[in-house]
Parts: sequence; structure tokens; C-alpha cells
Amino acid sequence: MHALSKRALAPIAALAALALAACGGSSGGSGETGSSGGTETSAGATPTLDTGVTLVLYNAQHDTLSAAWVAAFTAETGVKVEIRQGSDLTMANQIVAEGSASPADVFLTENSPGMSLVENAGLLAPLDKATLAQVPASFKPSSGKWTGIAARSTVMAYNPAMIAEADLPTSIMDLRDAKWDGKWGAAPKGADFQAIVSAMLELKGESATADWLKALKSNGQQFTGNTAAMKAVNAGTVASAIIYHYYWYGDQAKTKENSANVQLHFFKNQDPGAFLSVSGGGVLASSKHPNEAQALVNFITGKTGQKVLADGTAFEYCVATDAPSNPALKPMTQLSPPTVDLSKLNSPKVVTLVTNAGLI
Amino acid sequence: MRSLPPLRLLACALAVAVFASIPLISILSYGFRVGWDEIRPLVLRPLIGELLLNTLWLCATATAGCIALGLGLAWILERTSLPFAALWRALLAAPLAIPAFINSYAWITVRPELDGLKAATIVTVLSYYPFVLLPVAATLRGLDPALEESARALGTGPVRTFLRVVLPQLRTPILGGGLLVSLHLLAEYGAIEQLRYPTFATAIIAQYESTFASTAANVLAGVLVACCLVLVTLEVFLRGRARTARVGSGASRSRPRIRLGWWAIPVTAGVAGVVALGIGVPAYSVTHWLTYTGADSWTLGEIAPVVWSTLKLGAAASVIAVAVGFPVAWLAVRYRSALTTALERTTYLASSLPGVVVGLALVTASIRYARPLYQTTPLIIAAYVMLFLPRAMVNLRSAIQQAPPSLDQASRALGQSALATFLRVTIPLAAPGILAAMALVFLAVTTELTATLLLAPTGTHTLATEFWAATSEIDYPGAAPYAVCMIVLSTPAAWLLLRQSHFTGASYE
Amino acid sequence: MNDGAALEVRGISKSFGRLRVLDGIDLTIPGRTTTAILGPSGCGKTTLLRLVAGFERSDGGTISIAGRSVQGSGRSTPPNRRDVGYVAQEGALFPHLDVRANIGFGLARWPAGRKAKRSRVEQLIELVGLDRGHAARHPHELSGGQQQRVALARALARRPSLVLLDEPFSSLDASARVSTRTAVAAALREEGVTTLLVTHDQSEALALADQVAVMVAGRFRQVAPGPEIYLRPIDLECARLLGAGSTLQGRAAGDWVECALGRLPLADSAPFTSAAVFIRPEQVTVHSGTAAVVTAVDYLGADKLAAIRLPSGEVVEARLAGTAALAAGDQVDVRVEGTVLAFASLDALGAKANSG
Repeated sequence: MHALSKRALAPIAALAALALAACGGSSGGSGETGSSGGTETSAGATPTLDTGVTLVLYNAQHDTLSAAWVAAFTAETGVKVEIRQGSDLTMANQIVAEGSASPADVFLTENSPGMSLVENAGLLAPLDKATLAQVPASFKPSSGKWTGIAARSTVMAYNPAMIAEADLPTSIMDLRDAKWDGKWGAAPKGADFQAIVSAMLELKGESATADWLKALKSNGQQFTGNTAAMKAVNAGTVASAIIYHYYWYGDQAKTKENSANVQLHFFKNQDPGAFLSVSGGGVLASSKHPNEAQALVNFITGKTGQKVLADGTAFEYCVATDAPSNPALKPMTQLSPPTVDLSKLNSPKVVTLVTNAGLI
Repeated sequence: MRSLPPLRLLACALAVAVFASIPLISILSYGFRVGWDEIRPLVLRPLIGELLLNTLWLCATATAGCIALGLGLAWILERTSLPFAALWRALLAAPLAIPAFINSYAWITVRPELDGLKAATIVTVLSYYPFVLLPVAATLRGLDPALEESARALGTGPVRTFLRVVLPQLRTPILGGGLLVSLHLLAEYGAIEQLRYPTFATAIIAQYESTFASTAANVLAGVLVACCLVLVTLEVFLRGRARTARVGSGASRSRPRIRLGWWAIPVTAGVAGVVALGIGVPAYSVTHWLTYTGADSWTLGEIAPVVWSTLKLGAAASVIAVAVGFPVAWLAVRYRSALTTALERTTYLASSLPGVVVGLALVTASIRYARPLYQTTPLIIAAYVMLFLPRAMVNLRSAIQQAPPSLDQASRALGQSALATFLRVTIPLAAPGILAAMALVFLAVTTELTATLLLAPTGTHTLATEFWAATSEIDYPGAAPYAVCMIVLSTPAAWLLLRQSHFTGASYE
Repeated sequence: MNDGAALEVRGISKSFGRLRVLDGIDLTIPGRTTTAILGPSGCGKTTLLRLVAGFERSDGGTISIAGRSVQGSGRSTPPNRRDVGYVAQEGALFPHLDVRANIGFGLARWPAGRKAKRSRVEQLIELVGLDRGHAARHPHELSGGQQQRVALARALARRPSLVLLDEPFSSLDASARVSTRTAVAAALREEGVTTLLVTHDQSEALALADQVAVMVAGRFRQVAPGPEIYLRPIDLECARLLGAGSTLQGRAAGDWVECALGRLPLADSAPFTSAAVFIRPEQVTVHSGTAAVVTAVDYLGADKLAAIRLPSGEVVEARLAGTAALAAGDQVDVRVEGTVLAFASLDALGAKANSG
């Protein structure tokens, strides 16, 4: 839900770009902004970029994160990027509806099902080998049509005053039980939720997933967006909610206003509830500026791009090989996500299930 | 007077009526194209029933609340010796300047646990009651005092006089105001979404989020369209052949007001309470977030371009809406006939559709049939014109009535050409109404949310979308400056509506 | 209903802010009679009617209707319990109700069966001379005169002790005015209802009222039967309110007065010398001669009104048959028939007295 409404901070991005440009220009190679890594990636990918073009980025990722990526990219390459903000599935379906006449050059998602939707419509161009080489196989589909750019872990946010740690469920599927009646919630309208459901569908099958959705409809509380869900847990409106980890970390780093009374429960044992959702980046086959578009995805998955992610306030995990995530996060090695084939995460099927459950 | 309208003008008006019907045609034709087999499972499912019930419940509770509050306040303002009545009238009309989604934001700031039907009712009643208050107060003020006096002299007590004589005269403003409130409630997205109360409008956006301009989204829109049409028909049917005009023509005498005495204290406290809830809460919340310690997240450099693009869109839409509405209004006033009235009504009917429906229809239609317009500024301006044409029409109508044909004839008899007459007589007389029409459209555009969310070209951001983006991320301090800008821009429109209802007794929209 | 005083007003005063509108008014209306309050606009006559109806409260004094006190010693009966009928200037018909429903409006709590109520409405439709076909019409489908008839029928429906008519014909055009007036007079007579009529039109007052009360500046100048005020007005203002006339300077002595038209007999002997002589136009006759000059002739159809300048420079009006051959510029002689009126303090009237 929140993705459509996210702010596209174009002006801020421009300011950031100016700042970065000034930084790089005056002090040459201070190295602070990670420009050494940048030179490596751009040198490896496309040496000749046309700085006169303006890429159109269909962005379903968090607007602040993409704005920061774009600012750094523009500062490094001179290629301008115009951002259209939306949510995963709106934009995925939009690109499919637009077909080969889509104005988009690059598509970034929060979760992989939206990207798969575009890939299955045959609208993505193969990514440069250099780009694919930057990301390990677990974070990209075998097709090579897109790549992971970040990852987020499913968690159960709970209010310790309302649920004792000992009573926490061992599996997300437990929430179907009557004893969880009225004690949990989720944001079923969002692509985040639907990505979790797609993993569940892949791991547990259709009838278990449909049951679980039915349980949410009848026993759970529905929220508009993960922030609202976490806020409700914090306020004690609901005891727990299924969200992604970074909402909590982001709020903890700021004012803790919406998370002071919230703890995170990470599911273990490759439970569907431990699903690590991969944010994707891809280049449209119809792009009129393929070189520049490839360069943008290459940049995001490169050292500089991943450092922008790690240093920023997004609190998502980095996915590139040897790219350290934000140290505030629970280390990725301590997570035990299920193994899922990214290209099998199916969004139309999930939307049908969620629609049939009466959640949208 | 009864002469036939010029063909060229008629063609213009016909084109406008067709233009205004595009969303309706688009939704209907989508239905026909897809076919019932594909639609049936989407319509005949429990969620639709749930949404229908939710939407109707909200319409019922909030419309009833608006009528009760608007009627009561109008009576207090117009019939009692309430101290400082003029001040209270202005304050009670002030919620017109506060978009409902800002009101909602203000309320969850104060009471974060608010949600569901009760919360949605409270917030929407406090946002929309002026739609009933203003026309009812204007009608009460314009009623011939002799009507009530005659009833009293006929042995009818004050309460029964109100019920048997005054209330029937208020039927038109109550029904009109109630319809306006209901249509707003059907269309309301931002306010209700924040309060977690699912209705058709929120469901359409949710469906759009998951599937873009899909069959499911269009089906939901179709059901919402049906609701709107039912409502409009119902209003026409209920209003019937109500006769409420003054029969005589003499000047109304000022009437004695009911002396409140000690009752002035509780009555004033009640009125002040409504003001506190209606504008006190938003004022407090916006101020709170503006002065919040974390409010450094906004700068002039960030807001100025948004204000600028909002102003540009508003200016373009208001000029075009007036230009487009003028021929239709002219025909409806100067060449009254079944045909011209039907053309006028068409522009109203088509525009009773919610912004989300118009947005969705234009996305669906443009991506399929008018690709060059897809994601362009002209398309979003077209949506604004479709949505806000009635606001322009109402004012254009009264503007044109200011320049009756007899003045034209006088001018022609004084040797002026038709063009010179138009420029020297008609336009100067109609100018205030034309400006009012432009102002109201302009200000409606500055707070439009749903159509803008769907149609804004890449890189175009308005005050409403930026406010919405911030509140969706629960970034309340970041939303506050946009809220202030929208309230400031809406204030002249609210003032205009208050003034119109006060001096002419005219209803609006 | 008793045949004593249907309305008794004693010492009524009323001010709006600092403006004193009524100043110690006394008025008695005998039962089954009609009284007209006649006065220039703004004299307070409508205010008095509204006080009687109970729409306003007086500052002091008492009002009783049919022997029941409705205003006095600080208490005021609300209008719905005063047992009055009220016809507003423009009828004030309820626009949302048809003619029948308008007339039957006050019968809602009338102690009678539905059938009796219905027949009462039908009877009233006939009484005020309305076409039965109009009974299902809405007010906006009626002419002004028809609206006033419905308003009267509505006011009469409950058989009130007193009917109040507030300038009921003033908004009608000339032809409708006379026919409506005739119909209203007939209906009032037939119902035998006590009526208080407020008007600024002397012909209305004279045609409808048994008693005329002339009001000037918040006080009654003269309360008497119409013909009496016409023939014996108490002062020049009353004389003028009750009909046209010319005023000449004169010197009174006993039963006679000397003026530009010669020595004329007085209706009442005058205890003063300096006098304003008041002559009605119908008293003035025109003969062949050269003493005076016709300055203007208004042709009114059945008769003519001629303005004639006397040698003194004063102008006198004469009413002549429509067939009389007379034109502006003609030289004539002028005589006066019957007794004339003379009032004291001509000097105080100043130049105003010269104009007819």
C-alpha cells in the first residue's frame, strides 16, 4: 500500500547529487563516498555513457533509498534519472499493460514477484554479465533477466507487554490456530505481504496458504502498510504483526516513536515466516537507452550502490558479494531463511488467493 | 427567449457533454468488452458485499450526522440570539478549508487508536457538515417570516411550526447538501484509508496497487459508479416537485430571534465545541507537527517546486473548465429547453463520479486508445476538468443570469454589434461569477488526491500527493508543511462559498 | 362568541430601540364589526396588528381578545393560543402545500371529524369565491388575487374570534384589487367575523370598515365610522387621508369662512379666525366666466379632475363629468356647493397649504 504513496524526493535527490558532486570535485579522491569502488564498476560495465539522456526509473523501492542511489549515480556518471514512484505490483502490471511502448528504462522493486511478472511477460532485457557477477546466485534468478539489489527479512513484530517471549509461535503457520485469534495482524494490501504469501505458497502449497489467508481475514487485523501495523503493535491495538525487519530498525534509529514497545521475533528453521524477500532491479527490453539503463543497475549492485544502502536509513540487507550490510542489523548469517527459487514466486496466483480470501 | 440555439454553440456543448461522459463510457465499455462471465466472479463475492455494506453504513451515519449537525447549527445561527453570530458562522464554515484527509491526519495525531466506522463517521461529519449548514442557513434566512407567523396564528405551536412549515421548505437544501456529502463519502479515500475503514474507494486503490488497471479494479469502480448513480437518482426522486420558492415578491422583514437568555451559555458552549473539534483539532495537530523536534525534514527548496506544480495544474484546469463550461451554461440559461437541460445535467452526472474512478478510467482508456496522452499533463488536467466542471457550471450559470437578454437587446438597439455587446455588457456583468468559478475549480485541484495519484506524469508532484506520501510512511512532521499549504490555498474558496451562501442564498455544486 | 368587544387594546406602547413606534394606543372593536387602521406608511399600524397577533411583545399596556387577556402585566400569550386569523401582505401561503392543504392547515387540531374538516375546507373555497378546480393547485399556480382569497379562507377556517388583515390588497394590481376586495368583504360579512384591517388606502378602509381609526406617528387621531371621518375629519391630516381636497387660506367668523372662493358656509362653527379651508373636488363646480384659469385636466374615464388657478394664485381641484368639455388654458368661473371644512393654524401649515 505505502509504495504508491511514497514520496519521491526528487528535489532532495538533486541536492544530494549536488553535494556529492561538490565533494568529489573539490577534494578529488577523498575516498569517503566510496568513489574508488565506483570507478571500478563503471570501468567494468560501460565506459561510454551518454550524459545527455534522462532515464525513466519505475521505482517501487523506498523513494529515499532510490533517490540516494540515483543521486550518487548521477554524480558519478552524469546521467540524469527521472523517478516515477509506485508499488511493486502496480508498476509491474503497468509495465505489462504498457508493453513495448513503456516509457520505463529501469524497474526497481521491493520484492521479487513483481519483477517476475514483468520477466514472464518477456519485457526484460538480459543484464550485463558484469552486473550479474556482482551478486551471488541465491539473490538472482537463473534467467539472468534481473538481479537482487537488496533483501528484507520477514519478522513478527510483537508487544512484549501482551505476548511473553515463551509464547511466541515457532512457525508463521501457527497463526492459523484459534489461540492466535485476535492477536495478530498484517498489511495484506501491500506487495510486501504478497511476497511473503508467495513464499508460503511455494513452500507449503495452495490449501495451507489459503487457510492461512482465511485465518487472517477472520482472526487477524488488517492494516494499511507495515508502518501502520507496527504502530498498532506499539500502541497495543494488536499484540503482534507480520512485517519486514527494516521498519523496526528504521524507527529505532529515529525517534522510536512507533516501536518503543515493540520487539522483533525472527522465525527459524527455514520457516516461511523467515522468508528473505529479494528486491529486484531490471532493465526493460524496450529501453531506448540500454547502456545507461544497464549502468544504473550495475551501479546499484556495485560497491558504491551497496554502500549507499548500508550507510543510509533503509536498513535493508545488502546482497552483493562481500558487501557489508548496516552493522545495526541482526547479521544475515544468523538468519535462517527458507530456500526458494526466486523465479517461482508467483504474483498473479497470490493476488488471486488474496482476492479470494476477501482481503483485497 | 424560446428561439433555437445557434448550431455551433450546440455542437460545442454536445462535445463538452461527451467529454464529461468519458469516464462513465470507459467504465461501461470496459464491462461490455470483458463480458459478464469474467465480471461475475469478481462482483458476486463476499468482499463486494462487505464493501457495499461498509460504504452504505458510512454514507448513512455520516450523512445523517451532517444533516443533524448542519440543521441544528443553521437553526441556532439564524433563529436565536446567539452572541457573535457572524463570527461563529465564519468559524463553523471553516472546515470547508480543511481537506478531509488533513482532518483525518489531525485526528489520528490526537487519538492514534481511532479507526473503523465510528472514527470515519466522526472525521467525515466534522469535515462535511458545512455542505448542509450553509444551504440550510441560507434558506432559513431567506424564508418569508410571514409563513411561520401565519402558521403560529393558525394555532400551531413553535415546534410543530418548525416541523410542518419550516422543515418542508428546507427539503431542497437538506437533500442537496446530503447528496453532496454522500457523493463525497463515496469518493473519499485519504481520510478513510488513514482510519482503516475499507470502502469501495479504498478497495479500488488497493486493487490498483496489486493489479494496476485490471478487470478487478474496473469492476470495483463499476459498482461504485452504480452507487453514485443510484444516489443521484434517489435525490431527484426524493426532491420530487418540491415547491419552496417564495410565492410573494415583497422584501422579507427581519424577524425577531428567539432570546436564549441563560440558554446562551450552554448553546454557545455547544457551538464552540463543534468549532473546537472541527478546526481546533486540525489547528492543534498541524501546529504540533510543524514545531515538532524532528520537523527539520522539510525545506523551502523541497516544498516550493511542489507548490509551483500544484499552482500550474490548478491554473490550467480552472481556465479550461470555465472555457469548456461556458457554452453549456450559456445554452442552459439563454436557450432553456429539454435538450440544453439534458446537456447541462450530463456534465453534472458524469462529474458525480469519484476521482479514483475518473483516474482509473482515464488510465485504462489512454493506455489502450490514446497512448500519446498516457502519463501526460493534458490528461490529468482533463481529469480535473471532468471532476470539477459542476463547480464551474453553478457559478457560470448565475454569472450568465446576471446579464439577461434584455440588456443585450438594449445594447444592440444602441447600435452595438453582437460581439461588442458580449464584450461591453455580458462579460463585465458576468465577470465576478466567472472569477468565482475559476477560483473554486483552482482550489479543488490543489487538494485533489486520488485522480492525481493515478494520473500524475512522471516527476509531477502535488501538495496532496506529497502530503499523502508522507502520512503513508507515518512521517507526520514531514506532512505538516503540505497540510498548511493546502489549508492556506483552500481558505479563499471556503470564504467564497460562505459569502455566496450568505448573500445570495445560492447553493453550490 | 360574544357580541361585546372582540378586541380591547389599552395603553399599548412599543419602541424599537430608541424609536417610539406606538405611543399609548387605545382601541375597541365591537364584535362582528370591521375596523380599519388607516395611516401613512411607517405610522405604526402594522406594528399594532403584529402586537395583537402576538408576533411582537408590547412595552406596556394590555390587549384582550374576546374578553380573554392575551397581553398584560408582563404576560404574553403566544400567537398560536390567541384565537386569531392572520392574512399577511402577500398571503404567505405554504408553497409546499396545495390550496386545500393550505386552507386545512390550521384544522389539524380542530376538535372535529375528518369529514367535518373536509366539508369546512370545501365551504371556505366556495365562500371566498375560488373556482373548485383550483383546489388542487399549488400557490405558485395561482394569481395574486387568488392567493389572497386562499389566505383568507385559511385564516377563517378555525372560526377565530378575530381576523387580522395586513394590507391584504396592496400587492395586487388595480383590477384584481377591487374584485378581491369585494370577495373578501362578502366572505367576512357572511362569516360574521370581527376584523382588524391595516391599510394605507382610504377606499379600502371606507369600503370594508364599520369603523376607521386614523393613525399618524404612532397615535390615533380619530376613531369613528368612515363617513363621519370623511365628512367631519378632526384635522387637516385626517381630512387628507380620507380623500382628496384643496386647501385655501381663509378667515373664519362663526359659521362662515372668507376665502378666495368667496364667503362659504362652515359645517361646524369655527372658534378661530385664521383658517385652512378644505374643499373636496366634488364640491367644486365650473361655470363659464373669466375669473380663473384651468391649468391642467386629468382625464380619468368616468370623470375628469381639473386644476384651476384662482386670482389669489391658489389652486383648487374640481371633479367634473368625463364628458365635460374643458381644456388647459380655458377661462372659467368656480363655485363651491355645500358646507366646507375649516381648521385652525393655517400659518403653521405654511406653504404646504397651497398645494391641493
